[in-house]
Amino acid sequence: MSLLRELRREGRLLARDRALGVWVLLTLVLAGAAVLSGLQEVAAQRASLSHMAELDRIDREDAQRKHPDWGSTAYYSFHLTYDAPSNFAFAALGLRDQEPWKHRIRMLALEGQIHERDAGNPVLALTGRFDFAFFAAFVLPLVLIGVLHDLQAQERRAGRHALLMATATGPGRPWRTRALLRGGAVLGAALLPLLAGGVVEGTGLPVLLTASAFVLLYGLFWGVLAYALAARNTASAVILAMLLGLWATFSVVVPASLKAGIDAAVPLPEGADILLTQREAVNDAWDLPKAVTMDAFLARHPEWAPYGEVTTPFAWKWFFAFQQVGDQTAEPLSLAYRAGREARDELAATLVWLAPPARLERALEALASTDLRAHFAYKDRVRAFHGQLRAFYYPLLFKDEPYDPEVLAALPAF
Amino acid sequence: MSVVRQIARDEARYWRRSQLAVAASVLFLLLAVVTLVVTALRISHETTLRAHHQAEAEAAFLAQPDRHPHRMIHYGHFVFRTPPPLARFDPGIDAVTGSALFLEGHRQNSASFAEAGASAYLGGLSWLTPALVYQLFAPLLLIILGHGALAREREGRTLQALASLGITPGQLVLGKGLALGAALGLALIPLVLTVALGVGAGEAFAPALGMIGAYALYLGLWAGVALLFSSVLAERGAVLVALTALWLALTLLLPSLAVNNTERLVPIEGKTEGDLALLSELRKLGDGHNAADPAFAKLKQDLLDQYNVDSVEALPVNFRGIVASKAEADLTETMNRFAEARMRQEAAQNSLLARHGWLSPLLALAEASRALAGTDLANHHRFLREAEALRFDFVQRLNGVHAEGLSYLDDVRRSSDPEAEARTRVSGENWQVLQAFRFEPQAPAARLEAAGESLLILLVWCLGLMLALKRFAGRLAP
Repeated sequence: MSLLRELRREGRLLARDRALGVWVLLTLVLAGAAVLSGLQEVAAQRASLSHMAELDRIDREDAQRKHPDWGSTAYYSFHLTYDAPSNFAFAALGLRDQEPWKHRIRMLALEGQIHERDAGNPVLALTGRFDFAFFAAFVLPLVLIGVLHDLQAQERRAGRHALLMATATGPGRPWRTRALLRGGAVLGAALLPLLAGGVVEGTGLPVLLTASAFVLLYGLFWGVLAYALAARNTASAVILAMLLGLWATFSVVVPASLKAGIDAAVPLPEGADILLTQREAVNDAWDLPKAVTMDAFLARHPEWAPYGEVTTPFAWKWFFAFQQVGDQTAEPLSLAYRAGREARDELAATLVWLAPPARLERALEALASTDLRAHFAYKDRVRAFHGQLRAFYYPLLFKDEPYDPEVLAALPAF
Repeated sequence: MSVVRQIARDEARYWRRSQLAVAASVLFLLLAVVTLVVTALRISHETTLRAHHQAEAEAAFLAQPDRHPHRMIHYGHFVFRTPPPLARFDPGIDAVTGSALFLEGHRQNSASFAEAGASAYLGGLSWLTPALVYQLFAPLLLIILGHGALAREREGRTLQALASLGITPGQLVLGKGLALGAALGLALIPLVLTVALGVGAGEAFAPALGMIGAYALYLGLWAGVALLFSSVLAERGAVLVALTALWLALTLLLPSLAVNNTERLVPIEGKTEGDLALLSELRKLGDGHNAADPAFAKLKQDLLDQYNVDSVEALPVNFRGIVASKAEADLTETMNRFAEARMRQEAAQNSLLARHGWLSPLLALAEASRALAGTDLANHHRFLREAEALRFDFVQRLNGVHAEGLSYLDDVRRSSDPEAEARTRVSGENWQVLQAFRFEPQAPAARLEAAGESLLILLVWCLGLMLALKRFAGRLAP
């Protein structure tokens, strides 16, 4: 029998297979729902950001009108920083539900501000959103298992197995074609809504192709597993139970153990200690001789040494200097915290190959810039912006320039 | 009755000979025990750590040297939410909410440093807790044990033989149900032991029993579903496929779809966005750092009239302290209005999500479980409210010291005159105004009440299934 004829025969059988039709339709509907809700969420986040940008500008201009001197302006001006969703974020919202992606920052010590968590409703975050990444990683394998596990047992029950084997040109021949066609139909139905969503959002073709390739590879992994077990001469119920066991192992047991193991292996400084250290340093400054604070500050900023003397009990340059010294004091802890999280993430990136569903999620989230790396990149941008604010205000404060609202037009913008 | 018991005993014997049933049971118990031990260790470590931090924070506040009282308002205070005893079974939202909250004047901060943020990220289902093991995997165990219960008799054509012995379909279903009930009881043993540990650690009996009852109802419901499908569908394979599909829909798909639906029906704005709206509201109030703010003109005139003097300098109290106190009170009222609105919205989302339990019982169980453990949204809100009460209390007491403990003239000059500045420092003994903080979850009765609706949903599911079983058992007649 030629390959073409076999394909045509199996195709005809496939088209008449009602149960398969239901699975494919279900896949299409679920993937469609996941993509649609992802699109809605991303649109809502963008709308919220542009709304906030407007309110933020009004609030800052108002603060600047009310406080016409450099120190108070710096103290009372907040600046919105944010990480807008990428054009593939609709498919994998990832850490955006867990980690803050917007802050309002001012010239005070940054360590006291950057760890604020503007996260959503924790119960919703705990239950988990239905996005494409969740669908593909956890639901899709179960659908594949559903259509592939009784590939051979079904024919055995119908008494056609021996006949099919006798007419086949090689061992496994009809099954392989059949499995490919069935699995292919399901995967195609899963990818169609993703590609449609990509067109709507204007996602780059390389991103869409890479994402599709990951989903297909992942589908192949589960397809091969299901196919291999389906060849066993056992009741289909036993095959199904074994596949369910594998699903639970890969989806939950392995990732949960890896998480617990990695967290235990890589200790992290207490987050609360960063805040406590920074706050103690900032508050101690009020009682320390001014020179102690200024020396610590000038060690970082020797350029301000000629203006570094403070003679009054209060001066804005000293106030902001001790804010920065607060950051400097907490810096080792903060860096260690960040390094620890990065070390945990690197380990997770390596070991996650043991848990294919989590591997797929991480791959899609990396493409969507909703992973830890993107989160850190955002925080780096916030830190850089805060640095620009300092660079803007320090000359005005230290040189004691006369207040001129025109100068504020050059205020750094995020 | 002895017939029913005999059927149950035979079913149990069948399981003991079935590799699949034995393997599934052993794996489930192993998973449950390991997760329980890991979680219990983690929670007890967290409890000690947070209690330690709390004590440290209080000691640090009290040990502050003499200084201007307003400085202590900005020095602020930390409070920590310690997990309740049953958190070792269901940590609930503990990991996804920050557990440390910084309290200071003029601001309501958000709780920072959630554990979920610091952990290695391994995908959406990697936060395995004992509660989740029971919510997700115990139903699978019951499906594997129960799918063949009646379909097997039909496939093996033994129904006729059983009928000829005078066994009615009702007795048959009852017997199989009894066996599944016993299996369910065994599966619950690790849960019962953990809950008992919780009682040992100070939990009341009622929520502990409620917890066991909630999971028994939920698992009973799944046993009922398994029996129902097993008695209606012809083949064992088909029963298992149908039950797996149902499990997929009820425990994996519907809960996360319900999250999307909840967000669509009750949209909520983030804290940053809410804060911005709050700020535009606050602009209408006076700035408490600036006693010259026109917003305080009336306050000033009232005070001058009350003490019958012409200038603030002549007042027997420090006008700056009075202004700070008034500003804080006005500000707090506005902040609380926003915070309460936001909490109401979150609570509305929460109860809508739990009401999706009519479609997916897992959502009802999850809510009941968190509520009984004291790790639900309501208890987090309780923490936030208690922390806010503490914040307002110490800030206002310090403002009281500011108004009465130092002179207005010194206060005005302290930024430029070092001697005046020295006189504005009040004794560190004043810091005793800070009250001790220890978070306790809601009282047992309140927690049971909070879980009530979800428990009712589970009960209705169970009753519905029993009725359906009664109705369809007749089909088992040969």
